[in-house]
Amino acid sequence: MRKSFDRVFLWFSWAAGVGVPAVVLVLIGFLLKHGAGTLSMELLFGDAHWWDAVTGRQPVFDGLWPAIVGTLLLVAGASLIALPVGVAAGIYLAEYARGWWARVFSLCIDVLSGIPSIIMGLFGFTLILALRRTLLPEATDCLLLAMVCIALLVLPYLIRTTETALRGLPDSLRLIGPSLGLSHWQSIWHVHLPCSSRGILSGVILAVGRAAEDTAVIMLTGVVANSGIPGHLTDKFEALPFNIFYLTAEHRTVAQLDQAFGAALVLLCLTGGLFGLSFWLQRSLEKRWALRR
Amino acid sequence: MSESDITIEIERLSVQFGGRTVLHEIDLRVPTDGITVVIGPSGSGKTTLLRAVNRLNECFPQCRTSGRMRFRLDGEWVEAYADGYPVETLRRKAAMVFQNPNVLPTSIEKNFAVPLRSVLDCSTSEIRKRMERALREALLYEEVKDRLHDSALTLSGGQQQRLCLARALALEPAVLLLDEPTANLDFIATQKVEELLGKLKDRYSILAVSHSLGQTRRIADRVVVLREGKIAQTFEREHLKDAAVFQKLVEEVF
Repeated sequence: MRKSFDRVFLWFSWAAGVGVPAVVLVLIGFLLKHGAGTLSMELLFGDAHWWDAVTGRQPVFDGLWPAIVGTLLLVAGASLIALPVGVAAGIYLAEYARGWWARVFSLCIDVLSGIPSIIMGLFGFTLILALRRTLLPEATDCLLLAMVCIALLVLPYLIRTTETALRGLPDSLRLIGPSLGLSHWQSIWHVHLPCSSRGILSGVILAVGRAAEDTAVIMLTGVVANSGIPGHLTDKFEALPFNIFYLTAEHRTVAQLDQAFGAALVLLCLTGGLFGLSFWLQRSLEKRWALRR
Repeated sequence: MSESDITIEIERLSVQFGGRTVLHEIDLRVPTDGITVVIGPSGSGKTTLLRAVNRLNECFPQCRTSGRMRFRLDGEWVEAYADGYPVETLRRKAAMVFQNPNVLPTSIEKNFAVPLRSVLDCSTSEIRKRMERALREALLYEEVKDRLHDSALTLSGGQQQRLCLARALALEPAVLLLDEPTANLDFIATQKVEELLGKLKDRYSILAVSHSLGQTRRIADRVVVLREGKIAQTFEREHLKDAAVFQKLVEEVF
């Protein structure tokens, strides 16, 4: 009896282990099948010459380029806001928060991570309405607003992964700092944070991925189908996920739908590139910490 | 023992973790000279006693310590548990080496640079000077002098433990607290560390925990036996000479 249980469990684990990568492969294959044919300079830059478009000498009207730049700006801005706050809050939870207050703080983060992204978009939308009626009559939904709302959306991932990574450090590492006379903050800075940087990286990857793909928040906070590259934080902007949504919802021909698949492939490559960049950044920081004097 | 021969004086020290008493009203005087070894069955409070000296128990939640501990630093007595006494200074002066070598996963040199720069604000040249001196003291310099920029994790277990000792020595402590420093080392590495302790005891007051009676006999100048959080017995050097007699004494106490 026990033996057959063991066997069933083994098969199940195998199936799960093979199944997940299989699903990913099928998904990418599907995207490639429909989208690969559309991948071209024209998809990215429309009628404009690529170099003129990249250097900003010629605006792009029919290509994905403004949406790529919009998504990159959005991810960069949201990360810039969310990373320091998220990591700091994670440090607070793992290293300082105690008792009743820690539980309240922790509950707030759970609530924040449970908020659907459309609600976060709605929050940004009403924030702008309120600002227009009071302090800033000129205010309108824009790139900056979307960055702030996306930052709020990804904050819980960063907080929780930082907290978990720090809590997971073994006592042998935790005691090095204090036993040598380092203050608590010095121990965190010189020992705990570098030793948990791989765990923190997984939070950064989650956050970047979420920031790049979210559509609901930006729909209510400043994204449009056609605006070109934003020149200012208060401009409206384009973004790849919204582009995909728009192309799919409004398509009239199969070719137009395939363009959406092409855009999805571009988004996939973009997030892949961002993951690679975070990975490289973490490894080089870790190496610098470990071997530089 | 006159007061000038004492480095640490513990009075009525009790430690509780989450309401469970681990040490109960300990009175202990650790002399300046020689090695004092604490032995006792598992769970008798040996490590907690050691960590009470540098207040490392406070790094764990729900720890409550009561009683008094005085510490003689440069001829002056300080109250280690007094409000406002900087615990970082105490921990630097009572340096600890753990059961498992806990090197930083960085270069050998950085294992010195991090504490020396953070705690004492040492310059790069001062760090080099102290590192070399400490590595020589720990009989490790010749083995690592050409690979100071290599990761400390590339060293053997015994070398890592001597690196931890050297890292502690670089802070110029008054007391060394050693928590079963050879528990995870092989025979040769153990022998080397014991030899080293024999040399260091002339310069530092040493309080060590040991799991081995053989080792205790080899290195101890006096022995404190802990049982269920209380001091059951103390032995002086002369009791240790005859292995059979010592074995019998300890068996009676355990």
